[in-house]
Amino acid sequence: MSEMRATSPAPVAQRENTKVGMWVFLGGEVVFFVSLILLIIFTRMINSGYEEQFRSLLSIPIIALNTFVLVTSSYFVVRALEGISLKGSRSALRNNLIVVVVLGLLFLAGQAFEWITLFGEGVNLTSTYGSPFFTVTGIHGTHVFVGLLWALYLLVGHRRMPFTKENHLGIENFGLYWHFVDIVWIVLFTVIYLI
Amino acid sequence: METEKRPNYLFIFITLAVFTLIETLVSYIQQAAIKVPTLIVLSVVKAVLVLLYFMHLKFDSKVFSYLFIAGCVLSIPLILVITIVMPSLF
Repeated sequence: MSEMRATSPAPVAQRENTKVGMWVFLGGEVVFFVSLILLIIFTRMINSGYEEQFRSLLSIPIIALNTFVLVTSSYFVVRALEGISLKGSRSALRNNLIVVVVLGLLFLAGQAFEWITLFGEGVNLTSTYGSPFFTVTGIHGTHVFVGLLWALYLLVGHRRMPFTKENHLGIENFGLYWHFVDIVWIVLFTVIYLI
Repeated sequence: METEKRPNYLFIFITLAVFTLIETLVSYIQQAAIKVPTLIVLSVVKAVLVLLYFMHLKFDSKVFSYLFIAGCVLSIPLILVITIVMPSLF
């Protein structure tokens, strides 16, 4: 019996508990990001000239490409999880996580390019639309950066971490976080850039 | 994650990519009455696809869905105050 316990995966209840914790965190993040998105909507409601003063300065095709990059990274997170959870393949996990890191870095590079362009156009942290824009995209970018550090930690530590076909909750929780950051960007892309 | 019910992740990904392209094209439409509702619907559909399939809410315990919905419900007072009450003060 004790041998069975030593080799069997984590008990279901324990596994569910850690995932519940992740979802509680994401539920709180929903409130946090809704308040940030409302900051942009509110600024647009009480001021005029968003289209002429700010939106016309944004490069929609470049940001659409950046959005595609982040959506693609989400797909590779799913592939990483599938690799370990269905096939028990640590190489599939590693390779897909490497792609996620590269795409995450590309996304941040795209965002940095956009910020530099806007600074060049005279938009700064104190301007009417610049202030909420840099606040919201900056906080989202920080979330992407934290996700990148998390992915790197999983990549570097995957040899020591016991990820197997049966025990891959660490990857699953990372995936939940990364997909949530993707969802936030899907909404920001619409609210800031498209509407 | 229940691995028995495997969605076609590639199809979900392609759908998300195509919707992103459609959104980008729709953003160039001048009529707000067409543009705004279309963009909101497309963005909600994309977010729900990620939630249901990439985050496995469709297949996982309903507890996780309730926790996420709780976050959305808690945001409603914020939305009401900031979009209805506060603009009237300015």
